Amino acid sequence: MAFEFPKSLDDLPVSKVKWVGKPVNRVEDPQLVTGKTEFIDNVTLPGMLHCAILHSPHAHARIKSIDMSRAAALPGVVTTLTGEDAERWTRPMYTTPQGWGGYVLATDRVRFVGEPVAAVAATSRYIAEDALELIDVEYEPIDPIVDAFAAAQPDSPKVFEDHDDNIMYQRIFTWGEVEEAFQKADHVYKESFRWNRVGANPLETFGIISEWDIVEDSLTCRGSFQTPSFMAMGRAATFRLPSNKVRFIAQPHGGSFGGKGGGRGTDITLMLSRKAGGRPVKWIEDRMEYLSSGGSQAWDRHYDVSIAVKDDGTVTALRVKLLDDMGATAEGFGATGAVKPMASFTGCYAIPAAEYDLTLVATNKLPVSPYRGMGPPPHNFVLEQMMDIAARDLDLDPAEIRRRNFIPADQFPYIIASGNEYDSGEYEAALDKVLEMAGYEDLRREQEEARAEGRLVGIGVVSTIEPGVFDWNAYTVIGTAGIGIPEGVTVAIDTMGKITARVGFALEGQGQYTVITQLLAEYFGTELEDVRVVHVDNLSAPPNFGPGGSRLGVAITGAVLGAAQRLTEKLTKVAAKMFEVQPEDIELLDGMLRVKKVPESQLSVRNVAAIMLNRSDMLPPDVDPSPQATFAWTAPDRVEPDEQGRVKSYLTAANACHLVMVEIDPGTGKVEILKYYIADDCGTRLNPANVEGMIQGALAQGVGAALLEEYVYDDDGQLLTASFMDYLLPTIHEVPFPEKAALVTPSPFTPLGAKGAGESAIHTTPAAIMCAINDALLPLGVRAKEVPASPNRLWKLIQGASDQ
Amino acid sequence: MAAKRDVRLTVNGVAYEASVEPRMTLVDMLRGELGLTGTHVGCEHGVCGACTVLMDGRAVRSCIMLAVQADGAEFMTVEGLASEAGELHPIQQAFIEERGLQCGFCTPGFMMTIHELLQETPDPTEEEIKDALGGAICRCTGYESILKSVRSAAKKLQALG
Repeated sequence: MAFEFPKSLDDLPVSKVKWVGKPVNRVEDPQLVTGKTEFIDNVTLPGMLHCAILHSPHAHARIKSIDMSRAAALPGVVTTLTGEDAERWTRPMYTTPQGWGGYVLATDRVRFVGEPVAAVAATSRYIAEDALELIDVEYEPIDPIVDAFAAAQPDSPKVFEDHDDNIMYQRIFTWGEVEEAFQKADHVYKESFRWNRVGANPLETFGIISEWDIVEDSLTCRGSFQTPSFMAMGRAATFRLPSNKVRFIAQPHGGSFGGKGGGRGTDITLMLSRKAGGRPVKWIEDRMEYLSSGGSQAWDRHYDVSIAVKDDGTVTALRVKLLDDMGATAEGFGATGAVKPMASFTGCYAIPAAEYDLTLVATNKLPVSPYRGMGPPPHNFVLEQMMDIAARDLDLDPAEIRRRNFIPADQFPYIIASGNEYDSGEYEAALDKVLEMAGYEDLRREQEEARAEGRLVGIGVVSTIEPGVFDWNAYTVIGTAGIGIPEGVTVAIDTMGKITARVGFALEGQGQYTVITQLLAEYFGTELEDVRVVHVDNLSAPPNFGPGGSRLGVAITGAVLGAAQRLTEKLTKVAAKMFEVQPEDIELLDGMLRVKKVPESQLSVRNVAAIMLNRSDMLPPDVDPSPQATFAWTAPDRVEPDEQGRVKSYLTAANACHLVMVEIDPGTGKVEILKYYIADDCGTRLNPANVEGMIQGALAQGVGAALLEEYVYDDDGQLLTASFMDYLLPTIHEVPFPEKAALVTPSPFTPLGAKGAGESAIHTTPAAIMCAINDALLPLGVRAKEVPASPNRLWKLIQGASDQ
Repeated sequence: MAAKRDVRLTVNGVAYEASVEPRMTLVDMLRGELGLTGTHVGCEHGVCGACTVLMDGRAVRSCIMLAVQADGAEFMTVEGLASEAGELHPIQQAFIEERGLQCGFCTPGFMMTIHELLQETPDPTEEEIKDALGGAICRCTGYESILKSVRSAAKKLQALG
């Protein structure tokens, strides 16, 4: 049967909404603030061993020999592992695009600094690390391929000998009459940009405890998995095991942001467990391992961009050429980050034609991983610089050129040139809100005064889209399979009327268990305390993926409301029999099942559930004694992309407008954020405090990307930023606390009108800060084209300007 | 491997004695030997502050201290904040109410740092709070809600006198 999801909070079965849409405290927090939450490193199993992994010190080398004998002889070392074991027991890693990877432990050669080469399992981590020092590896170094442009040349040395070159993927997508638009344009603007590697860095690194049952040939893994079911499928494929013999239990984990990584560590610990007779093997990645060999790095990009513009500022076409440095393999799904910009290619603007010339190249660096936002943040950075470049030349205010190009509010749903459909939006309203909050005209006057004093003060104003509710169909063009991505929940009411929701994903920080609790307490008219959310393993959970792609809030809302509706149908049949009426005469309101128009004939949900469980004599014949229901939600109306990759991929399009004022110290090149304002529209906010928290958190990550964070490799492929002393995360001193406004333009396509939320600021903040920096630099006639705009880069730019 | 050494220390009012290798870090002793797993390890090189505990009332990073250096000292960890009956400490209450956490992994370290701050400076200014927390990293919240949590905790503690 077709499900009718409540379109807004008013459609919920209550006379007055009590929980949903309210900033209720999180159910996750009491455990967390008392240190009781079971993060993976808190778990100890009987007989457990500890793994340590030996990583390659070379960016590129042949392995001539590995001698594990001294390590194996160390007291306390139970077993050891090398690439030979991986070749014997596993398939090469699954990669996207396909065919660009090796085994989880290096076999004949290493391709990046940090690549796992060997591993040991010992009775303590201390002994395991001692043993690493006793492993004798003979390497024959090969010249590393570090520069992306050189790597992309046809005559470049190769990262993989079995490929013709280092090009993992190359394609030009053309949407609309691009060439014609450029020919007819009054103005064409071109610029090149560089976005350096940044990445997730959750405070908890990846960790796992693996057990290989050598009798049953079944696996059990406990760990900090962002997507446990997905990882379980990967293990079944890697080890050629029946998928129902792979059990994954996700522990609560300390953040992920897409970059938790862990595939190699999972497979290595599983093989160690197998060699150790099935003893559990724990591996907790340390921070330096995370930075150099984990899921830490993303978005290593070189851009050439051009836009076609009319005299009045209307942008008629956008061309983006991207050379994206994937690192040594395509194992980490990082390539999806280069494709995702297609879901919001032209931003908030009604640009009718666009072209994406995309090249993914292999180099001897760490393979890139996903990171919050999944690719559009660098794309938005370059697009928004181009808008400002055009505005300057046409003598338009940066806010005005954006206003002139916005998709008008009356044109939604709107299909952008690259094929995705935006569900709804009020971009001009968000811009106006920000300009009003900031007192924009006064700010510009302030800026003029500062400039008159010789100070470098600039303002950036940027609006972006956060594509929400990802679907696999977005990534078909680089070889992922499938359409749809189900997220399920089982909702059960027990004989005491208490509600349990079983889901397949663990705590990660976004507060999803709180949202589920709000929804169920609302739907069945209970207190929040009457609902409990539990995580179950992949073999027990309904279909699920977990957090990712700005999707879970919407998807789990659909799942919960679907399951609640299914459960209500059962309860309704029982109540109808009790009252001797037809099921269609019964309605659920405020936790009571009542006969329509006869409100005094009513039974509580709790009573009906108890009847189902304890009074089989009262059950209708077509109802089983089980007050439970399962529902899995996926986005409606998704299909395959067309021949140019165009597809309705992400179901929702949230919008944010940021205005930031910065000052650059010409003596040091340091940027200070003077003022910051945000208007954010992610549709219905299921828990506004959750949303506010994620906006501020993503803002901090955006500040880091724009000003501080950068993975630096030298010409030998050595990582120079392998500690937090060198890879600079923002602290409380660097992060502004903006004035924030919420706009609510509900999605017409989702349950309750919610949109994907949680990424908006990282899509917007780097672009806005860079626009402000370039506004500040304007009097000097120089332009910052590289992210992060670190003090040394800006200082050099400023010095260069004064030399002229 | 060097010979083990005996370490005696007090954590949250409970006396412990353990025999450890001289190279064992304090946090590994707290978590692994004493089972006090509420203190977390974020970087193991003294930058992120997740492992912060109070040693004789002062905030220290337990990942870059050795267990043997802790001999004779008195410690407080996150497990010592709530009362034995489970009543949350005002700092914990403030973190819940002001949303001072998301994933919660860095939170124990922040709370111990804040405990030290509010002992010494019951009514800190924004700059004093930022200075106190400048050496701790949170990757989720963007710090605003942590700042609010400190202000709220200060008010709660002052009200208690």
